[in-house]
Amino acid sequence: MVAALVLLAALAAGAPLLARRLGRATGYVLSAGFLAAAGLLVALAPRVLGGGAVEASTPWLPSLGVEAALRLDGLSLVFALVALVVGALVMAYCARYLSDASARGPVLPLLTVFAAAMVGLVLADDLVLLYLFWELTTLCSFALLSSAGAKAVAPARRALVITIAGGLALLVAVVLLALAGGTTRISVLLAEPEVVLGSPLAWPVAACVLLAAMSKSAQLPLQFWLPGAMVAMTPVSAYLHAATMVKAGIYLLVRASALFAEQTPWQVALVAVGMATALVGAVMALREHDLKGILAHSTVSQLGLLVAAIGVGTPTALGAALLHTMAHALFKATLFMLVGIIDKETGSRDIRDLSGLRRAMPWTAAATALAALSMAGVPPALGFVSKEYLYQGFVSAPGPAWVAPAAAACAVTASALTFAYSMRIVWGAFGGPDHPELYEPAKSFLAPAAVAAAAGLLLGPAVSLFDPLVDAATSAALPGSVPPRIYFWHGLSTEVVLSGVTVALGSALFWQRDRVDAVLVRLRLPDAGGVFDAGHSGLLALGGRVGAGTRARPLGAHLARPLAVVAVLGVVGAVALGGALPERTATAVPGEPVLLVVLAVALACAAVTSSAVVLVALVGLVGLVVAVRMVLVGAADVALTLLLVEVLTAVVLVLVLRGGGLHLPPVVRPAGRGALPAVLPAALLAVGAGTAAGLGTWALTGRRELSPTGAYLLDNAEELTGGTNVVNTVLVDFRGLDTLLESVLVGVVALGLGVLTRGPGREVRERPDVVLRVASRVLAPLAVLASVVLLWRGHDQPGGGFIGALVAGAGVVLVHLAGTGGGEGAGGTGRAVRLERLTDPVLLAGAGALVAVGTGLVPLVWGGALMEPFSVPGLYALGISSALLFDLGVYALVVSLVAACVRGFGRVPSAVPAAAPAAAPGAEHAEVVR
Amino acid sequence: MSALVLVPVVVPLVAAALLLLRRRRPGADALDRAAGVGVPLLVVVAAAVLLAATLEGRTAGAAAGGWPDGVAIALVADATACLGVLLTSALTAASLVVAAGTREDHEPLLVPLVLVMSAGVSGALLTTDLFNLFVFVEVMLVPSYVLVALGRRGPAGGRLYVTVNLLASTVFLAGVGLVYGTTGTVSLAELRGAAAADPAAAVAVGVVLVALAVKSAAVPLHSWLPGSYGAVGPAVAVLFSGLLTKVGVLALLRVWAVVFEGDARVAWALLAVAVLTMVVGVLSAVGEGSVRAVLTNHMVSQIGYLLVGVGLATAAGYAAALFFLVQYAVVKAALLAVSAAVEVREGTDALGRLGGLGRAEPLLAVAFAVAALGLVGVPPTSGFVAKLQLATAAADSGSWWVLAAVVAVSLVTLVSMLKLWNGVFAGSRPEAAGAGGAVTGTGRVPRAVLVPALALAVCALVLGVWAEPLLVASEAAAAQLVAGSRS
Amino acid sequence: MTTAVVVALLVATGTWLVLRRGLLRVVVGFVLLGHGVNLLVLTAGGTDRRGFALPGQQGQGPVADPLPQAFVLTAVVIAFAVTVHLLGLLRQGQALDEDDDAEGPA
Repeated sequence: MVAALVLLAALAAGAPLLARRLGRATGYVLSAGFLAAAGLLVALAPRVLGGGAVEASTPWLPSLGVEAALRLDGLSLVFALVALVVGALVMAYCARYLSDASARGPVLPLLTVFAAAMVGLVLADDLVLLYLFWELTTLCSFALLSSAGAKAVAPARRALVITIAGGLALLVAVVLLALAGGTTRISVLLAEPEVVLGSPLAWPVAACVLLAAMSKSAQLPLQFWLPGAMVAMTPVSAYLHAATMVKAGIYLLVRASALFAEQTPWQVALVAVGMATALVGAVMALREHDLKGILAHSTVSQLGLLVAAIGVGTPTALGAALLHTMAHALFKATLFMLVGIIDKETGSRDIRDLSGLRRAMPWTAAATALAALSMAGVPPALGFVSKEYLYQGFVSAPGPAWVAPAAAACAVTASALTFAYSMRIVWGAFGGPDHPELYEPAKSFLAPAAVAAAAGLLLGPAVSLFDPLVDAATSAALPGSVPPRIYFWHGLSTEVVLSGVTVALGSALFWQRDRVDAVLVRLRLPDAGGVFDAGHSGLLALGGRVGAGTRARPLGAHLARPLAVVAVLGVVGAVALGGALPERTATAVPGEPVLLVVLAVALACAAVTSSAVVLVALVGLVGLVVAVRMVLVGAADVALTLLLVEVLTAVVLVLVLRGGGLHLPPVVRPAGRGALPAVLPAALLAVGAGTAAGLGTWALTGRRELSPTGAYLLDNAEELTGGTNVVNTVLVDFRGLDTLLESVLVGVVALGLGVLTRGPGREVRERPDVVLRVASRVLAPLAVLASVVLLWRGHDQPGGGFIGALVAGAGVVLVHLAGTGGGEGAGGTGRAVRLERLTDPVLLAGAGALVAVGTGLVPLVWGGALMEPFSVPGLYALGISSALLFDLGVYALVVSLVAACVRGFGRVPSAVPAAAPAAAPGAEHAEVVR
Repeated sequence: MSALVLVPVVVPLVAAALLLLRRRRPGADALDRAAGVGVPLLVVVAAAVLLAATLEGRTAGAAAGGWPDGVAIALVADATACLGVLLTSALTAASLVVAAGTREDHEPLLVPLVLVMSAGVSGALLTTDLFNLFVFVEVMLVPSYVLVALGRRGPAGGRLYVTVNLLASTVFLAGVGLVYGTTGTVSLAELRGAAAADPAAAVAVGVVLVALAVKSAAVPLHSWLPGSYGAVGPAVAVLFSGLLTKVGVLALLRVWAVVFEGDARVAWALLAVAVLTMVVGVLSAVGEGSVRAVLTNHMVSQIGYLLVGVGLATAAGYAAALFFLVQYAVVKAALLAVSAAVEVREGTDALGRLGGLGRAEPLLAVAFAVAALGLVGVPPTSGFVAKLQLATAAADSGSWWVLAAVVAVSLVTLVSMLKLWNGVFAGSRPEAAGAGGAVTGTGRVPRAVLVPALALAVCALVLGVWAEPLLVASEAAAAQLVAGSRS
Repeated sequence: MTTAVVVALLVATGTWLVLRRGLLRVVVGFVLLGHGVNLLVLTAGGTDRRGFALPGQQGQGPVADPLPQAFVLTAVVIAFAVTVHLLGLLRQGQALDEDDDAEGPA
């Protein structure tokens, strides 16, 4: 069993190589391979036909409880043989249908993979494995459909979406079944149906299984993809869309019968859907003129009959369904192959063009007629026998008295219609004027179809050969039931009468075909395909509208969302916490009300001003107020840092403003009446966010005692690190990693500024103020000195790497503003150039990062932890500790940022004409900022 | 062992610094490329070793500074962190290979920036301190700001990206402050179960979660992602897809699992957000008109799937989320690599101007097909196993509407992938292609882009068939998260 | 109490400015938001402890919690760096002579 699958896989892998050597004759090799695989399975038949099974399994995903389990019983043997035998015929047909070039393409390997997937599907004993093969067949079908070219795009899409949708339903069924039954082994689940049936999930499972089968087997209303799939080449239609892939749904339903066969809703659903499909399909087939279209709709109709039979659920009906599956595969594949031959010869698939083939291509015509007769259900063809059994099944349907006659009547009607269009095909083959330009195809081309047609004729009387097989299959499907006996002649029974009625009705329809055509042409059936396409376009349009939010251009639209969520969270938090808050321990800070007033005024002005200068000044004022407030709560280093940062930010802002407008767009868009509503959401959001923040501050802070960590730090900092400025020790010793990272980050921004400010720009050549020049000559070195002092004493007093570097940065800025540094050219060049190279941001950033990280890594040498403070005895005497070295690295990184600011913003961008926006500054010059 | 924990953070930083210090001419540079691929691969090896060690439930840690617990910042490698570091570093290496193909690595700053970014990513995944997480996330983001600026598509995308992330970081900081204010600690180890114990702490951590949700691009906070990711170069897009939102989701998972411990009162909200994200993301994707736009909108949808696993708040849900995260990162990277190849070859990724590539570049078409199937979740790809696991976890928890959403969104994902397939690979090239303007491609797909695309697609297949090792790893990691065996 | 009002005012004004047109206002808005959040973090240490954590300051009442101060210091530097980057973006926009530079990509 496993060998058969492996053989098929090997064939699929080897097909391209074979094709390169043998061209289209590869088809014969593959055909032989298929037969060999079938033989391997038949060899196992003795064990299966007695009602046993052959099993093989290996664990696949134990964490999910999934095994790769295979099981060959009567039912899977039937379907596997159908797939392989018909596959062999189709492969032999391909050997003559395809050209050498297309034989080297993907068609042959894909067909082989498909065959393997189909066999795997029916052999699978694990739900997940079944699903895997199910989807694999869908994928093969899509690939084969797509290879038909541009006209196949829409049909392939419909087919894929519908069948994958069904596949997803199957996935849901698999998940639910596994949950309900506790296992994914199909044989275990089917052996104890009460377990599944007793669970509340049983009905969703049944519904999903039905949905999956309906999509795969083209049942109403999901049947419309099948006729569309006829754009594929004929071998594909013959194999997939007539004989095998569409039978996968049938297989699924038969398997599921072990669970649901006696449940009335299941029976009703299947019979209703099946009969509706059978009737509609037959009518559509009668309407069609395209031969392949007729066959496609006919397939739909026949599948409907099969589904209805499965719905009846008695052993007789199931046996009939299995028999008819085999018969249908045989005659439908044959008909497709013959249509392919005729199409190649006449260049047309229109049935109205088809006439008088019997003289030009007698054998072809004969084969066509035989197959069509089997389809029509005329004795002694196999199709007749299987139809008889179907009637028998319907007539003996359980349930209320009206069910059996109703089912039988529907079946007869559908079959009559089938007879009618089958006769048209036969008539087309034999009747009408001759086409002298046609000729009999090569024997090898015709052979597969001819063989199959003949088999259809001979197997009718010899049908009792199938008895053991159908027995075993039916027993597998409905364990513990009595399977029907399969034999040819039943005597004058109800079924024969029904067949007679069918023939009579069908003949009448055929005789009056012109009038029938006239009626049918006026029939307006809903265009399900059109509905699908409309749905598809609608989905795309909906998507466009949903996605509009992400395409909004104003930044505010995007920024408003997180702010809104925070505001909502504030409301939720207020409600959730209510009054359940601990006592407030915080006390009022002296002087705060004054600050509050100043702040309020400054903020109000900042919110409405349109002057950039005023805005910058107000920001500075606010920063000052905040810094003072910080000092009031005992944050000395923080306040100092904040002040310096504020100063630098202000400087950068001024430099930026030099390059652009000093006037901002108005705060509120002047739009008369529209102004208020436009501004209202933003104002509300601001109020909301502010309230949330304020509430959070009031409710969630200041209500607990000093944290253990804080107490630990305050008590032990000096002892453990030697520093008395506790905040600084936290920065460089206790949480040195944070500081290391933020310094690296600062360096990265320095690099980034180089990128952002690349491109053409001109230096601002203002005449430097003499006072400023002198002041800078004096103050700049002082600043550097002060920065070194601050760096040195940071561990014990307010100061440290950041503050020191920011002060040094101030000196650098001063030098630049005074025009005594950076790109002036002549006059003082020596010093200027040296200064420039010394403050190269990339160099500083790299060096600083290296020093900082290196200092952190040193303790690892002797097995210490990262960033552990250490002291080199000699250096310690000089006051150089690891903290200082680390701070030095930080210092370098921060200076690199300031230097980058000065260089980047110190130049004013020259006006670039707004020509090609893609030619953004620095597009092609890789002007490395060095 | 603790030295190994430091490798993912320290080695890239040192390498970046060294690369900056040497003299380098613009253009292709062998040392840069070697470092760019070699360093992340080194980190991958370290992470793999750590993963093997942590699968039985142990963890490896390194406390910075050697201070006692609660004072020191501790980097702890548990299975989740190891998985994350392994994945992100592998994708970093892959994206730098793609960068060689798209010539984005002619920029001297690219490799150092990417290395710093990867250090930030690894650190964010390894840290157990909320404030340190904030800093590491910034270390991850700031180089990305510069990378966006390098994208040469104008400052608009950069503005969006930087401002939204700055806002998120501000909210994050506020959250950390509030957490400290209510609980007196920022160490995750000490915050375990704090949400249930103290509703005020729950609200405070909620603020942190909101910030992480912005970074993870959960709906309705997702609107920044397509615009920003559309503004970077193709190889950088691959990089971003593999790193940024993954960190957001993993951090969210960790904080949620540790602090909230799957509190049912809040879990439903997370599930609702997850489902909304899935649906809105896929609908937005289906309506877009260029390859990159479709793929980046899809990222939002897939993040929804991840959040479903997180929101289910069971060990099975977390395991599903972790497995999904790994396989999805691989699949998305493969798709974006294919997109990069298309952009290089054709000069554009607008669907209206493309077509017929299937015949011209069959290997690329295969890579796309496999990866697209992985995204939809069709067997035998890894996406299928992930969806199966997720669906099973949802069904186990009785969340039927989640199950239905998972299935429905998969179908719409299929439709959007079909749109891409039909627009790029099937059919034929529209005649008006040349008349559109100055877009010209090189006419061929560089091997440096094709090979990673194929390799990643093959990975998706391998992870689908041979999924067991990753399943085991994700289950072990999930168990650790739930039980809290972080030492 | 007043602290909460201060924070609320800063956050509200910051939000208002961030949602306006013009990247400069957005940058200033972020600066204000940053101030608000920094103050929030500082008060998490408890405003009843106000002594400087420096030598020679004993007797000033309980010493302030150093941990939030360290947090804020780090955050201030990081925010400064990102603000500078944003201003760089502003400069880039100036070079391109854009209409409304507070807009995202098309």
